[in-house]
Amino acid sequence: MIIHHKPFRPVEGCWDDGVPKKEFRLTIKDEQRRKKMVGKKMIWLGVAILFSTLWVWGTAHAVSEIRIGQIGPTTGWATMFGTEGLNGVKLALAERDYKFKGIPIKLFTEDTKADVEVMRTKLDSFKNRDKVHFIIGPSLGHEGMAAVDWGARNPDMPILIGYSAPEDITMRKATPSVIRPGWTGPQVIFHFGKFCAKDLGYKKVIIVGQDYSYPWDQAAGFTRGFLENGGEKVERIWHPVDAVDFSSIMAKLTGMKKEYDAVLCNSGGAQVVAFFKQWYQFGLDKIYPQILGQANVPIVPMLTELADMALNVYSSLHYYDGNPSEANMKFRESYLKAYGIYPSVIAVQGYDAMRVAFKAMEAIGGKVDDPKAFITAVRQAKMGENESPRGPFYFDKFGNPVQNIYIKKVVKKDAKLMNIAVKTYKNVSQFGPYAAMPEKYMAQPATSREYPPGNKDDYFREIEKYFGKDYMAELKKNNGWKE
Amino acid sequence: MIKERFFLYRKTFLALIVAGIFISIPWVTSDFFVLMAIRVMYFGMLTMSLTFLAGELGVVSLMQASFFGIAGYFVAILQTRYGLPFPFPPLVGIAVSLIIAGLLGMLVIRVRGIYFLMLTLVLGQLVWALASQWSSVTEGDTGIMNVYAPVLFGISMEKSKTAFYYFQLFFFAGATWFLIALRRSPFGLMLRGIRESESRMRMLGYPVSLLRYAAFVFAALVAALGGVFFVYFMGLINPSSVSLATNVEALLAAILGGINTLAGAVLGTGILKTLDVVLSGITKRYLLFMGIMFLFVILFAPKGIIGTVRNYGRSFLSPLMRWFGLGED
Repeated sequence: MIIHHKPFRPVEGCWDDGVPKKEFRLTIKDEQRRKKMVGKKMIWLGVAILFSTLWVWGTAHAVSEIRIGQIGPTTGWATMFGTEGLNGVKLALAERDYKFKGIPIKLFTEDTKADVEVMRTKLDSFKNRDKVHFIIGPSLGHEGMAAVDWGARNPDMPILIGYSAPEDITMRKATPSVIRPGWTGPQVIFHFGKFCAKDLGYKKVIIVGQDYSYPWDQAAGFTRGFLENGGEKVERIWHPVDAVDFSSIMAKLTGMKKEYDAVLCNSGGAQVVAFFKQWYQFGLDKIYPQILGQANVPIVPMLTELADMALNVYSSLHYYDGNPSEANMKFRESYLKAYGIYPSVIAVQGYDAMRVAFKAMEAIGGKVDDPKAFITAVRQAKMGENESPRGPFYFDKFGNPVQNIYIKKVVKKDAKLMNIAVKTYKNVSQFGPYAAMPEKYMAQPATSREYPPGNKDDYFREIEKYFGKDYMAELKKNNGWKE
Repeated sequence: MIKERFFLYRKTFLALIVAGIFISIPWVTSDFFVLMAIRVMYFGMLTMSLTFLAGELGVVSLMQASFFGIAGYFVAILQTRYGLPFPFPPLVGIAVSLIIAGLLGMLVIRVRGIYFLMLTLVLGQLVWALASQWSSVTEGDTGIMNVYAPVLFGISMEKSKTAFYYFQLFFFAGATWFLIALRRSPFGLMLRGIRESESRMRMLGYPVSLLRYAAFVFAALVAALGGVFFVYFMGLINPSSVSLATNVEALLAAILGGINTLAGAVLGTGILKTLDVVLSGITKRYLLFMGIMFLFVILFAPKGIIGTVRNYGRSFLSPLMRWFGLGED
């Protein structure tokens, strides 16, 4: 006999024992479930309380910590530019013990590897991961251009540009949130051209340099100052960025002596050392008076490598290491104590950037979480004579400093090589002698390896085209620039 | 019944899970993660084009970044200098990239092995030199800026990174599907045949050179697509995007993930890009750690992460993978 077990099927609307579900009845299962639910709810409640307290606490003490991002190339070929800038920032922070009016300061540092894609990733990291209040850096030309482009897209993140020198960061691409307590390439060399033409009396100069945008800018600035103040011709010779064998160029220079008066070395790094060595090997020091340098040429670390070869080299910059001012002396000594070497202009700019930021923080009472107020305060910051190792400076409306430019000469002092200033041009803006007409200056094409032309006639044709006849007449009347 | 039907559609199911994960990224993660995901995707397309060639043709190319960059440069130039409206700059960019791949392809498919590597290296460096030196067109080392992502259906891809993410995800999925379909097609089989024994395939009457050529151009297409998104996301392009460093980075990502697989390309890129950000936040010597990591990968897992997982994880992963129809590849 087969017994069919009917499966248990509860009657709808009844409890298991058949009693209708008219009244609510707790079963053991329900009790357990209820307890579990309560447990879960308690956990959720705990989490909610924790988060809300964190959130309230977070907003109440918005600037319980000042967070700063520093970015620059600390690996790869451009390590020097990143590390020195970072050291400068750290030194300025250490002076205040990493504190601002009792609020601790946290410094985040990132490496760009001298690559803009990496750099933008890191800028995003600063903004979204570390939630920094402002950023200092980067150091290289192309990095700076990419940073200002990023800044235009992220207007709530103040950026204090480091050593980057392209003009357009604070000219054609200028954006409110990006301020540069540094320099532009041409800004520091305009007056060197004038100095070479007027004080040294050269008529024709050869510029030998690396073939990329920074040396192009240097050559352009020099050409303007030189030709507008009585110079006749500037010849540019470009070599590949990493070339170290200059024998063909040296041979060429020997042949060009008949026509030209002096040579300006427009390279950077190891290329300069190689150039100087070969200059002496080929005996060019006996043919030409002395070598001229672009802004970066007898930079402090280079002096030890070049040794006596660097003696009497003329160049120009917004900082010189032999500056006897109190700020510079103190800065040099404390840097030497902290890092074991004397600082260069790269470190000065990192240091200055941080000091400008401190000044702005003081003006707004440490409220760095308000980017607009911070940006305004930075732009209004004025550094006095003894506040920066480079001397006084303030920002123009584009966010670039108006500062002193020093014509430097390398001399030996107490058996140590040092740059001293032979002439100072005060309050030079990034537009140099064209400070009164920035729009006209910016209307010109961007500098390239051949622009502006090095030939006097072609050059003045361009000047007349962009600056007008009045400017030309004024140049003629004053026999060059006024001051 | 339900189970059977489920089994029947298991691949669709898997695809849905993967799609779900990718689609939900902007909802469940932070803004920063979305930015990283965008980076991994465009760079992943570059790496995929490299692994496609490595897996199907058995050659390592050091010029995939050139196609990536050429497309990017054309988008930048056409958009900023000539102001062409949206769909045209990327279309022209990809087309130009393909034409150049077509021309150079005739040259490079003639050689194999180390010579392929050398020839692509030279051509890639040539493109880099052009980008760096021809400043009237490419603006030299500074590069071209002010490129903005387009506005689609009234949403600005520039402002909303989530929108950009979905926009790119669509094409990324398309490119991945395209490469997978190519691998599965008779075309892919023929390519693998060539990889294993070229002379035999030639003897059997297959147009070996033509197939290799087509594979090269297809790979360039995917790289070019990645380049378009790269320039839209970055907003600028400069010679570093076509430099040897970029090519090598793609190669390293491929080696890390597994040079013969497409999934490895994306995984490797993801790991590399993430490590770049995470490690560099912790230590300044992060390149050292990455170097050591690569040393270990090459010593102990030469087939990359995906290859190693396949080897060692076969025992416990294979039931699952077989169930999803991915058992043997």
